Amino acid sequence: MRDPENDTEATDRLLLQRMAAGDRVALTVLYRSYHDRLCRFLSRLTRRPDIIEEVINDCFWIAWQKAGGFHGDSRVSTWIMGIAYRCGLKALRQHGSEPVDEDTIPESMIPSHDPDDDRELRDWLGKGMDRLSVDQRVVVELVYGVGHSLDDVAVIMQCPVGTVKARLFHARVKLRNVLPGLAGEPHRARESAT
Amino acid sequence: MTVSTENGRECSRVWEAMPSVVMGTATREQDTWVHAHLADCDNCREEFTQQERLRHAMALPSDVHLDANAGLKRLLTRLDAPAEETVRVRTSSWLTRALVAAVLVQALGLGALALRLHGERPAYRTLSQVSAPVAAGAIHVVPDATMALADWNALLQAHHLQVVGGPNEAGAYTLVSTDPASPPDQLLRELRASRGIRFAEPVMRTP
Repeated sequence: MRDPENDTEATDRLLLQRMAAGDRVALTVLYRSYHDRLCRFLSRLTRRPDIIEEVINDCFWIAWQKAGGFHGDSRVSTWIMGIAYRCGLKALRQHGSEPVDEDTIPESMIPSHDPDDDRELRDWLGKGMDRLSVDQRVVVELVYGVGHSLDDVAVIMQCPVGTVKARLFHARVKLRNVLPGLAGEPHRARESAT
Repeated sequence: MTVSTENGRECSRVWEAMPSVVMGTATREQDTWVHAHLADCDNCREEFTQQERLRHAMALPSDVHLDANAGLKRLLTRLDAPAEETVRVRTSSWLTRALVAAVLVQALGLGALALRLHGERPAYRTLSQVSAPVAAGAIHVVPDATMALADWNALLQAHHLQVVGGPNEAGAYTLVSTDPASPPDQLLRELRASRGIRFAEPVMRTP
């Protein structure tokens, strides 16, 4: 683990300890610290912008209640992402997993940043992610988006590491077959990548 | 990756190691080994390039914009609400009210049953309880073992006596007089003087 990660982990643990003592300032700091990555993670998991804030608040509601029960068995980020993952799945069961119509999304939720350079990359990614299952999307997001190790992902998703490896493998095969090849290179199906 | 078996195995291992190399979490040895393989393998190099593009795409800011401050404000408001929510749930739940009513009915029924049972004299007596009440003027009488039943009955009739208890372990019967006018002392003397009566004493009442 690199030093910046150690520093972040130490800070997060301190914040959790203060939260366990009822310190709302600590909750505020942790909330803001995790808001963006949870927002992105949950948008990939649920594809429901209308319920993301509710899920984030459910997640921190539980973190607030259970901060005193965190014994450091995993990193704080792993612990929080695990809570968010379960809250996201619960929200999907309650609200349905069908992506909402973009026209119904409030204008305030539409990002102001969307330069043309990014749009092409977003479209490229969107085509691939649409073909993945929920679990495969979650693994891809946790590994490539958040930067968790496979062991961490197994803790978050409460499944064996082998299952995580299998989900990531199948997700990569799908992406490789679905996504258009890079500029100047024809796309070829490669299902024999074993 | 339809290459030779040996290269295929290495490609599989490289394929598995790519995420950690792409994310910069691989060891130096692993990183060196993967890049050495990529230099000679077009397939894996292409996959690696796509992996890097995937990482870059995943690192883009979220498609959804949410105001963290607004969400935080709602969360803090929610933290202050649970007591009120609990009260509201308690007062509005018909199921809870029905259960409370059922418990009250049961409690009242049990109370009534207890009162009724308390008024009845039990058909048994425990060792901790005082002795059974004895009628005033009762007498313990021990007849001789050879006394005939007819003589015993004649004696009881002659003195207007009735057996109310016994015989106990000592062979004593408890008798009471059915003639209120009969003086107790005289009755005792007559009984003691009767043939076939070995013992006649008044029952000592417990205080």
